[in-house]
Amino acid sequence: MANKSENLYKKAIALSAILMLIIGVFGSGIGLMVAGMAGVYSALIGAAVSAAFSILTILSIWIGARLPLAGFYGMVLGGWLVKVLLFAITLGMLQGADFISGPVFFFAVVTSVLGGLAIDSWVVLTGRQPILDN
Amino acid sequence: MDAVNIAELSGNIAVVGYGLAAIGPGIGVGLVVSKTIESIARQPELAGKLQVTMWLGIAFTEALALIGLATPFIFS
Repeated sequence: MANKSENLYKKAIALSAILMLIIGVFGSGIGLMVAGMAGVYSALIGAAVSAAFSILTILSIWIGARLPLAGFYGMVLGGWLVKVLLFAITLGMLQGADFISGPVFFFAVVTSVLGGLAIDSWVVLTGRQPILDN
Repeated sequence: MDAVNIAELSGNIAVVGYGLAAIGPGIGVGLVVSKTIESIARQPELAGKLQVTMWLGIAFTEALALIGLATPFIFS
């Protein structure tokens, strides 16, 4: 029997992906006006990086929930560790790149993160979730 | 080194920023997960509900890390 919490995770992942697409499209339009082609690349990379970050969080909890308690702990915290490391390395590499416009990238990341949070909150608050789940 | 600068440092201050951006949310996520595990150990039948609530807690905490790690793009 499908776990009811899984429906929430699936819904949040789908909505996050859609939001990132929207931010990628609108962000690259704004980026093009503000900073030319560098703005387009920055908006697309910014939206993709933060989408990967928030979707990986949901996936780590989803997969971890199927494991025993220690596995769950390792999956969620280990996933967090790997994510932050990858994110820091990616940003470090992008910082010196000439095809990146700093402000456009920053605002693409912040908008995606805040939008992702809004989606997560909305999904959890409106989702029908039984008290006894597993 | 002159007499005033007895502890001269060189390097990029953004590195300190990366560390600060990671440490706070790291503690936050650790607390959220540890409390969830404590609660699941007390009431295993609520595991699903607690994990979903934990996901929201983690999402908000790690947003801070993401924004903190991206700040060098506007402040440098």
